[in-house]
Amino acid sequence: MNKSWVESNTFHHSEFNDLNRLVAEKHRKGLSISLCLPTLNEEKTIAKEIIIMKAELMTRYPLLDEIVVIDSGSTDKTRDIARSYEVTVHEADDILPQLEQFKGKGENLWKALYVTRGDIIVYIDADIKNIHHRFAYGLLGPLLLTDRIRFTKAFYDRPLTVGENKLRPTGGGRVTELVIRPLFSLFMPDLTQILQPLSGEYAGYRSIFENIPFPVGYGVETGMLIDIHEKWGLEVIAQVDLDRRVHKNQDTKALGRMAFVIIKTFLKRIEKLGRVAINQDLFDDMIQYNLIRGKLRPEIRQLEVYERPPMATVADYREKFPPSTPGSSGAPGV
Amino acid sequence: MDKYLDVLPSFVDKIRKVREIIISNIVLIGQISAPTFHERRRAERLVERLAEFQVDECLLDDFGNPIGVIKGSSPDKPPIFIVAHLDTFSEVEADQHFEVTDKIISGLGVSDNSAAVGVLASLPEIFRHLELRFESDIVLVAPVCNLGAGNLRGIRRLLKTWPTPIAGAICLESVELGRLNYYSDGMIRGEIECSIAIEEKWERYQKPNAILIINEVINAILNLRLPQKPRTQIVIGRIAGGLDHGKIAYDAKIGFEIQSDSDDMVKELYADIRDIVDGINKVFAVELRLNRISNLNATRLRYNHPLIKCATRILNRLGVEAVSEPSETALSIFLRRQIPAITLGITSGDNFHQEGAMVKIEPMFKGIAQIPALIMAMDNGVCDE
Repeated sequence: MNKSWVESNTFHHSEFNDLNRLVAEKHRKGLSISLCLPTLNEEKTIAKEIIIMKAELMTRYPLLDEIVVIDSGSTDKTRDIARSYEVTVHEADDILPQLEQFKGKGENLWKALYVTRGDIIVYIDADIKNIHHRFAYGLLGPLLLTDRIRFTKAFYDRPLTVGENKLRPTGGGRVTELVIRPLFSLFMPDLTQILQPLSGEYAGYRSIFENIPFPVGYGVETGMLIDIHEKWGLEVIAQVDLDRRVHKNQDTKALGRMAFVIIKTFLKRIEKLGRVAINQDLFDDMIQYNLIRGKLRPEIRQLEVYERPPMATVADYREKFPPSTPGSSGAPGV
Repeated sequence: MDKYLDVLPSFVDKIRKVREIIISNIVLIGQISAPTFHERRRAERLVERLAEFQVDECLLDDFGNPIGVIKGSSPDKPPIFIVAHLDTFSEVEADQHFEVTDKIISGLGVSDNSAAVGVLASLPEIFRHLELRFESDIVLVAPVCNLGAGNLRGIRRLLKTWPTPIAGAICLESVELGRLNYYSDGMIRGEIECSIAIEEKWERYQKPNAILIINEVINAILNLRLPQKPRTQIVIGRIAGGLDHGKIAYDAKIGFEIQSDSDDMVKELYADIRDIVDGINKVFAVELRLNRISNLNATRLRYNHPLIKCATRILNRLGVEAVSEPSETALSIFLRRQIPAITLGITSGDNFHQEGAMVKIEPMFKGIAQIPALIMAMDNGVCDE
């Protein structure tokens, strides 16, 4: 295990709160930055995220060049509310419509590469109740102030809301501690240094994101970390403490489905890397049981793990972002 | 004056253009809990925000009031105060999470007084955006210890120690747009508590019940004869007590406020209530206590004062009807010190002191436009006329 990584590549957001310095560095390097907010029925939180990011990091400090919402087909007012604050809103299905359509967060993040223009892209979940602009500038700090770091990932003290005005502190999250950390410990101990590998907030150079495949669903964070680690090593990755993130709690069954997809993504990755041989096809059905009128009844959900290829291999994208584009593949440092 | 009226519509449009900054301030400051006597974290955040907006002097005074001073071009002119009280009715000390849509901002305390505090923090940026410079210093203050037992201590202390004369003050309340307060009633706010000793063994039959005794007190207060002139009322606004449906209540409490435009009448009625409490104490042999929480003297700006005329014209030009009622806010402390002052509302809202408290976003731009227009008039000496 690389012993020094956790010391050298772990930061706190407060190290980057000199926003003038970040803006100056962004201009000096001639970079542009996009913030992408993937959404699905986030009418309660989307406006606050947009307003704070826009006010603090666009109007007051020109750190972000655009905010783009990629929506998975919300049935509430998410898209209308986002548009009312004058940011770009796309429905994921309308982006590259000639391709087969999938639903999922990973799909939104992958398609964001096609519609955003930044050399650096910041991805932030749209369900954060205590949103603060540190979520963006904290992730951008290491990317702008160093030359070696190309991808940053958030970690938190994560209280979950369990009732009105009540918070419950947790560790890295149940799926992290019960699923992904044991798997990393077994097969890729270097990655255990990443405290919250499943956190939904990360940022990186386009040249990183466009050259890795994106699982379309919950597996996107796991796949992304493994691929970046395999392709460029741990040294290009940093993690940033963003203090506290308050978000909706998910019930155990929903977490079970998430764990199913993450395990499947992980197994496929390590098989592809030749670390294990799985001598059977993996099933696609997650089977959970409910007690209905005194009888146990199975609830079967088909959770196939689809994956988008590296965006750089998509012809339409190559046309829009030829390899010479700053930040796209071939940019210095990667 | 007409010059300022003419620019009002453009003010509204220009202020709307910085709505994200205004809402961002409301959210980032208002989400920090600030029950009366526990406002420190919110006060520090406000000072931090004012400093970020390049306000010339930013500080917490020795009482904990956050203050920002935007320096004017004429050092000799007395300053103009803009005030929005910092504390909230909610006693919840955990941070809140406001929700924002395209039309409203909702969350505990937003309508009293977090929206106004957020607007206060945004004023430096709004002035810049409107390209406004003033001759007078503009002092932005969010006094602590304003509500309830706080008894306006923050602003009292600040004005007591402020070293120079003050030209005038605009007090901001989140709601309701159109509010134009320029007088405050004399007021005593009090609580009456009844406690009955808990017996260790079997409860005796016909034991005194604190709720019934408090009910006697209420009936006696309702029997007091109140004059129509001076205008006077007693509001019984809070009640609490008891433990369970079938248990004798050992404790009960009411909160009341005597309001009148005569200080003497307030004192007289408070003495009457004291007599009621003493009398019932003797009859029932229980522990009945009367506590004074806070008090204010009746004070007013004369109705034809140029500041009121000016504020009324601004509201008329904005198409908003001016509504005047007595106000027990920092206003009364300014007026008591012969400093011309009014209280304005910023926007409309609902469920003021409840969980579902909310304010509307769109009316806010008119509400905010009043402030620079009125400051321009005050800077030109409207309070000196």
